[in-house]
Amino acid sequence: MRLPKIFLALLLTALPLPAPTAALHESEVGIVDWHKQLVGVPLIGSPNTAPLFHRFSVGQGVTKSVVVTATGSNVLAAIDPVDGSVAWRHVFDAEDPIALFKKHKDVIATLSGPGGSTLRTFNVLTGHLLLEKRLHALNTGSLFEPGDLGLGIAFVPGSTPNESEQLLVLANGHTLRRVDARTGEVVWSWTSEDQSSLIIYTRIIPTSSTIYLIGLAKSVKSYTLHATTFSTQSGTLIASRNIPSSLSPASATTPPSSAFLALSLFPSPNTNTTTSSSHETPPRLLWLEQKTLHTLPLSPSLSHTKPGAYKGVAYKELVDVGLAEGYGMFVAVLGDGSGKVIGVNGEGKGEESAVKAFWEFSESADSPRYTPSIYAGGLDKDGYPYVSRIYWSHVLQKSSIHTYAPHLSKGEGLVTGFTLPFDTTMHGIIVHAAIDTANPSPYRVLTRVVLTTSTGAVQLWQQDQAQWTREEALAEIAVAEFVELPEGKSVGVEVDLGGEESFVGRVARQVLDAKDFPQYLVKFVKRFATGSYASTSTSTSIPPTNTNTTTATTGPLTRDTFGFRQMLVAATPQGKVYGLDSSSGRIVWSRVLGHGWAAEIGATVLPIKLFVTRGVGDVDVDVRGGGDAGGPQVVLVTQRKAENTLVDTVIFHIDAMTGDDVRKVSPSGDIFQGLDIISGPIIEAFLLQKQTKTVILLDEFMQVYLYPDTEAHKADLEAASPSLYFPVRTGGPGKRQLMGHQLLLNPELSNRFVGHPTWTFSLPANEEILTLIPSRRGPVASVGKVLGNRSTLYKYLNPHLMTLTTSSLTSHPPRCAIYVVDAAKGSIVYHATLPTSAGVCDVKATITENWLVYSYFDEDFTGVGQSKGHRIVSVEFYEGVKPDDKVKSSDMSSFSNRTTEVTAYEQSYVTPYGITTLTTTSTKFGVTAKDIIFATTNSKIQSLPRRFLDPRRPNRKLTNEDVEEQLIQYEPVLQDHPQRVLSHSYQVNNVRRIVTAPALLESTSLVFAYGLDLFLTRVSPSGTFDVLNENFNKAQLVLTIVALAVAIVVTKPMVQRKRLRERWYQ
Amino acid sequence: MSTTLEYATIDTSRWRNLPPPPGFSASSSTSRAPVRSSGASQASYASLKEKRAWDFAIGPAKSLPMQAFMLYMSGGGVQIFSMGIVFMLLMTPFKNIAAINAAFAPFAPTNASANSIMTLPLQKLVYLLCNLLTLAVGLWKCRSMGLLPTGTGDWLAFESRGTPPEISLL
Repeated sequence: MRLPKIFLALLLTALPLPAPTAALHESEVGIVDWHKQLVGVPLIGSPNTAPLFHRFSVGQGVTKSVVVTATGSNVLAAIDPVDGSVAWRHVFDAEDPIALFKKHKDVIATLSGPGGSTLRTFNVLTGHLLLEKRLHALNTGSLFEPGDLGLGIAFVPGSTPNESEQLLVLANGHTLRRVDARTGEVVWSWTSEDQSSLIIYTRIIPTSSTIYLIGLAKSVKSYTLHATTFSTQSGTLIASRNIPSSLSPASATTPPSSAFLALSLFPSPNTNTTTSSSHETPPRLLWLEQKTLHTLPLSPSLSHTKPGAYKGVAYKELVDVGLAEGYGMFVAVLGDGSGKVIGVNGEGKGEESAVKAFWEFSESADSPRYTPSIYAGGLDKDGYPYVSRIYWSHVLQKSSIHTYAPHLSKGEGLVTGFTLPFDTTMHGIIVHAAIDTANPSPYRVLTRVVLTTSTGAVQLWQQDQAQWTREEALAEIAVAEFVELPEGKSVGVEVDLGGEESFVGRVARQVLDAKDFPQYLVKFVKRFATGSYASTSTSTSIPPTNTNTTTATTGPLTRDTFGFRQMLVAATPQGKVYGLDSSSGRIVWSRVLGHGWAAEIGATVLPIKLFVTRGVGDVDVDVRGGGDAGGPQVVLVTQRKAENTLVDTVIFHIDAMTGDDVRKVSPSGDIFQGLDIISGPIIEAFLLQKQTKTVILLDEFMQVYLYPDTEAHKADLEAASPSLYFPVRTGGPGKRQLMGHQLLLNPELSNRFVGHPTWTFSLPANEEILTLIPSRRGPVASVGKVLGNRSTLYKYLNPHLMTLTTSSLTSHPPRCAIYVVDAAKGSIVYHATLPTSAGVCDVKATITENWLVYSYFDEDFTGVGQSKGHRIVSVEFYEGVKPDDKVKSSDMSSFSNRTTEVTAYEQSYVTPYGITTLTTTSTKFGVTAKDIIFATTNSKIQSLPRRFLDPRRPNRKLTNEDVEEQLIQYEPVLQDHPQRVLSHSYQVNNVRRIVTAPALLESTSLVFAYGLDLFLTRVSPSGTFDVLNENFNKAQLVLTIVALAVAIVVTKPMVQRKRLRERWYQ
Repeated sequence: MSTTLEYATIDTSRWRNLPPPPGFSASSSTSRAPVRSSGASQASYASLKEKRAWDFAIGPAKSLPMQAFMLYMSGGGVQIFSMGIVFMLLMTPFKNIAAINAAFAPFAPTNASANSIMTLPLQKLVYLLCNLLTLAVGLWKCRSMGLLPTGTGDWLAFESRGTPPEISLL
């Protein structure tokens, strides 16, 4: 099936190519592509955004529950707790960060944007957007830290089922509105008169008659609580008073809003007993002042007495487990770390007994044997509250969960517990939990718990059974690369390194090899007779016997016939590396990156770069004399930021097939410990490809560190160093510049190579470099482009090209720019100035061979005939000034005077959508035409053939020569052709990068897009010319040949007889 | 088995002395006149041969307008018909030139060797030129169809480039 390269070139040029109709067929969806819908890592910093269970009625007494969470990817998501699938999700815009959400019955309300500028309500079952209302202009919103300070949503109690829900919305810290949840109509609104005052309102406590608005007032050295009351119906201000208090947060970093709680009671779910009394229970404020718990009941007139204080017990922290509002319960952490469940005492009289400790979790004090506890609150079907405590026991190496139910055991309270076999080597540590409980019999409590882990996994456990795990860290992939897989079993070819073999030896080997021949023959005949060849749609499908078994039993992945199955290695900032099967998206392996010496104090490991240091075809010089043949390997360069602000550069050398540590330091299944190669931050990392592949790292002092640091690699670098050039970005944020460097070894000063600057890319003072996009390197099939008149435009194939995008926002008018620069000499090959969009530079670019494509948003319109819109510009560089000018740019020295003899052909087009990222396809030999693959702002992945982006599309009627070149007439608007959408009907949101990799078939390129979602497909820009069509009728071909053979056999004697007769009777 | 007629057995002496038929003139068979007229006819025969050789030599040029018309009618596309004509135009000159001596042998003067290149040199030269003219027309047609590798683009696939002297790390 594979043809020699020259053959392909001939084939390609000889075939009259019509406009490629490379549309995705419906039957190919799910076969050639896969899509993984993700929601992002839950925001666990605030109870207003953290995951929680929500149970709602779907009619006829049937209830359904979902896990609702806001995530770091700016998504509001509802996850089905049964199978872990995404019930629905809403992706917020980047400039509209979600600040909080509140649930009530079948409505979820969110506030997002600066100061809570936008209110949205969603149907909890379907995720349909019910209401979207702009509360204030974005530029008038105040930014608070944390994001949910000064914001609040509360549902007005007592609305009957028929009328729509009423919301109380607090935005910007000083504006309270009563809004209808369906229509968005503002019933009334109130704004604090003195907006410049230091009072930030942050919590709403609604009752059926009165609304209490609690704020924080900044006093000289601490925060004071401030309360304002309103009439629920009319919104008239009743009273506004400071509460004599002085909040002391648990530490300097915790926000003051976490140091107080507002307790209120819903009408008890058990309506038979205490309906009347609970209605009258007033809301209550609780706060910590000098580690002492203070409490105060609230009344509409705020004519409160002196706050009650619970002296004698020192508390460290108040934990809102989501039960303070409506259930009057919370967890207070004592000075020694023990957790106490405290709640409003409905029956008690007098201020001293108004709040009581229901339960103190045993053995919850700080101890080296277990971790500090995480507390979670939840409800059962009947609406009774439960409080859980989760901790990790270092002794048992298991997690334990204790659930306290205050109403059970005849009101005495019941505690049940179990242990979870949580896999800490796979998922890090538990950082958040949300529970959902059921109480099937009086002394039995069943708990479902949703855990969020430090590696970004979301797990659901039903008692001690893990139900599902969502690896949400994949929504934040930092670096990802394709790694080719080796063939299944190496048949026959055994390369003997030990010189020539004797004749006898060769004969003996060949006789031995011949024993497989009968088997091969049988296979061949069978394959030929049945026609069961691998086709492009079936080659990656796993045989059905293997689907149910785990990866451990199926062994390592192997390459398929066409190389469509590759390993995708992806590293995430959550400190986890994944190996994904590119044919299905299945996680083959995953490893948690260790923190080294910083394990005690905590750290984050941020991936910087990922290099494939050994591919399938590479000979390993490190492993001499065979033995370990070795699979593909990758080196992950990371920066570890410890909690004590120390930064180290750590290298992880990973076997791409299994995820094992190549250095054999960490056993498989354990936490992956890296190599601390630089104790300090890293400036740049490169991969030098000579005889060996060496990772070159540069520290702050431009010293070179090698990995692997062996003699062979050192010798390689030494040999290459005189001709080695690299650019380094220098300067801090706001004034990033670029300097070219070379390596120098001065044995008298240091035994390391040191980079020294050779050129500076001098930009105006207010211009700063935003991105550096290296040219995509790959095989170049042709060094020129043949025109219609048989002359040649020689491509400018300078291998050192890179693209820089810059911004000069302080200049007048603010401008962006794009440069194409020679990385060895620093000379500018191409330069264009672009307009800014909304005050920022957002230029996306890709460069390959001699072709640069960039896109930007043009909001300038200065006259008639101009319009604002998304532009995509295609630039091609050719040698000389006219056709047939040749300077041999691809092997010319960068320091030749002729490097700037280049002509740029460019043309700009209008695209209907904004482009978030773009790249080109890549194929094995570079013969196939290159498509531009880009992600649009409307969540699609599209391809655009090069023909449409040809900068030589003539702006006139086509001549014969143009037709011969297959040029098409220039049209400014690139039509939005739905058949060029690669992503079918999937929503592929917030794509940050698209990675392409060649398959074994020259015609086909793999395309992997990551961002919030993961999407992989394969494209054939010039059609699948090197593989037979799936509809090819092999039976017909074989039958025709057989019929012809039979015809020959039958007619041959007839013809012979006839010719004899002719001779005889002539 | 074949039969042969044996005329030798016929006795002719009986009929030798018969008088000629009435009106038969014996003067037409006198010997003088045939000797004079034979020299004139030989010269006219040689000039006829030379004339015919000239006609033959410019024959390819005479057929050119017709061939040009055929080329024009066959169009510029690479099709079986136009290719056939072009092949004919390209092949015939070579065939003709290869067989130039044989072609001119019937016109060779009686005293010259028929197969020598030096017989009828002028005619042969003209014949050669006319054939080259046909070839040129064929090549011109090839060029107009884009079949001649004249541009740099035709030799692009054979161009190669080495490795650059510098290495840039990006």
